[in-house]
Amino acid sequence: MGRMLENVSKTILKEHGVPVPGHAVISGSEEITEQHLTKPCVLKALVPVGKRGKAGAIKFADTVEEARYKADEILGMTVRNFPVDKVLLEEKIDIDEEWYVSITIDPQKQVPVVIATTEGGVEVEDLVKDSPEKIVIYHVEPFAELQPYQSKEIWSRLGVTGKPLVKAAAILCKLYNIFLRYDCYILEINPLVLTRDDEVMAAASVMGVDDSALYRHPELEGKVESGSERSWRPLTQLEKDMVKVNDADYRGTARYTEMDGGEIGFMCGGGGGSLLSFDALINLGASPANYTETGGNPPEEKVTGLTKGILSKEGVKGLFVAHNITNNTQIDVFARGIVKAIEELGVDPAEFPIVVREAGVNDEEGKRIFLEAGITYFGEDLTIEEAAAEMVKKMRGVS
Amino acid sequence: MSILINQNTRLAVQGITGREASMIVSHTLAYGTNIFAGITPGKGGQHVQGVPVYDTVAEAVKKHDINASLIVVPPAFALDAVLEAISSGIKLIVVTTENIPQHDAVKLLYAARKKNVTIIGPNTVGMINPKDRIKMGSIGGDRPERCFVPGNVGVISRSGGMTAETSWMVKRAGFGVTTSIGIGGDSLIGTKIKDLLVLFEKDNETEAVVTFSEPGTSFEEDAAQLLKEGGFTKPLISFVAGKFTESMPEGTVFGHAGAMISGNTGRPSLKMKALKDSGAHVVEKYDDIISALQTVLGAKVGEVK
Repeated sequence: MGRMLENVSKTILKEHGVPVPGHAVISGSEEITEQHLTKPCVLKALVPVGKRGKAGAIKFADTVEEARYKADEILGMTVRNFPVDKVLLEEKIDIDEEWYVSITIDPQKQVPVVIATTEGGVEVEDLVKDSPEKIVIYHVEPFAELQPYQSKEIWSRLGVTGKPLVKAAAILCKLYNIFLRYDCYILEINPLVLTRDDEVMAAASVMGVDDSALYRHPELEGKVESGSERSWRPLTQLEKDMVKVNDADYRGTARYTEMDGGEIGFMCGGGGGSLLSFDALINLGASPANYTETGGNPPEEKVTGLTKGILSKEGVKGLFVAHNITNNTQIDVFARGIVKAIEELGVDPAEFPIVVREAGVNDEEGKRIFLEAGITYFGEDLTIEEAAAEMVKKMRGVS
Repeated sequence: MSILINQNTRLAVQGITGREASMIVSHTLAYGTNIFAGITPGKGGQHVQGVPVYDTVAEAVKKHDINASLIVVPPAFALDAVLEAISSGIKLIVVTTENIPQHDAVKLLYAARKKNVTIIGPNTVGMINPKDRIKMGSIGGDRPERCFVPGNVGVISRSGGMTAETSWMVKRAGFGVTTSIGIGGDSLIGTKIKDLLVLFEKDNETEAVVTFSEPGTSFEEDAAQLLKEGGFTKPLISFVAGKFTESMPEGTVFGHAGAMISGNTGRPSLKMKALKDSGAHVVEKYDDIISALQTVLGAKVGEVK
């Protein structure tokens, strides 16, 4: 999935006729001038995470001095692991009421769902539980747009009437079109503001685009942080390097996530097998240094690049290689890739514990390659959990 | 018996001339599964490993009474391929394609629900019935016998690779499988654990079911609800992987796209509790599947059909 920064999503909203506050992006407080402060302003940390208000990363200012001072404060912060290097500077709007609207895909019903309420400033999850009458949950049929009458019904059920109803209904249709147009998995406006002069405006927006669909949105190139759900902080240098290793060849997948600390280099797969292997090591009291999931029959170079990356992390004292019995990943190719990496790094399996549990396509040849390199190899003789226990046993000698 | 696929399955492969399909087709034919037709637009009249290729699903259905389709096409073509199969009256569709845009997945699942079509996947390794030697998908690779031997256990897995590994564990325990199914690693899929349990309940030869689960989704909670309501009465042995993800920052995905925890939704500990409370045999360690199976089916060792 691909998160978007707020200035990017607001620009898209504006292009499609949804009113948003005037905004500018700054990376240093000295960039703030009188021009920005014709009205009081809001300063927001420009980071791809929510709940910035709670983190103290949204501030208000009336003068240039105040805005600069507060911008400096925000620029020094780290919000939920993301260091702030840019601030979104917006005109403060004259709020009468704060509403909420989101469009997502309901995983249970497997159709798009609009959630709207005119209760502002509350957690929507709590509202669903505590006051369901104050919220409208509206499922929309796939293959169709949200019709104007449907949008009108949603706000009308919440008691909105008069000019605000007409405006809110039009805006929700536009939002739904944006949701469809850009393959969003989320489009959330919180708050959707009713101003004192009866305008309806998107004061804050969260937009996330399905990165599987990016191929049909070349215009979003560089605007979406692809794979954002795979990390809870900005990517480390090593993680960025491993993305390059993966992207260099379309065959096979290789995902690398760094853990804090850890001793065992973790080279496992596939999606489920890696979860099982990681759990197994943790249950045995061991500490993996990374989480790597690889599968789908990666070529030798990819395996070598990934293995080298895993072993290059400081503090790694061993390597655990395990897969479920493979349906198509070739064990011999995998073995060659790993052996090449340890040879190039000058790693000696006699001193550096390596345990392999690989069975499946071409595993007889794979076994021969691993054994010839002096690596402890298991195939169908051990389960994944039994192999993990062998790994932990071997680590006792070095940690 | 088995569920979903048997000797009466008349299989076609959509996207049969692609690179990915060519390996699947050769393994499938070698296993003994009949493939009656293939479909690739513009390649009608050709043959792939002896299988006749048609331009449209409609032609293939007309000539060969196709009743099941295996879809092996790139993500951008998956929605159209599914819609075509549905419009030709096919009631069982396996969608192997990974990385289908979510909005397309929503549409294809919706179209299938409207016509009562069973979709396995997307993003699935497929399914296999070793007694009838029929498989749909890449499941089993070049040597299905390694993991899949005939027997009386049903296997349901949210991971393709672990469909094989779990069936191998069943074999290691001294049993075999009626049908093993990888349901797909996405959160938006056509056939969930609960749906398959309903089918396994009706299947006379299936005496127990083993499930392999992961974080994310409500599939296990829904299955637990089915057990509570009495909709599945055979022994269910469940393992949930990824317990470590609960101590990682929320919203981070490890493994499959569907493996995301959000609030209390998707937590392995809660899935295990729900399954346990509904009477399933929830094993803490994966290896305990073996002893659990032997206990549950112990009396029947030696008379595996």
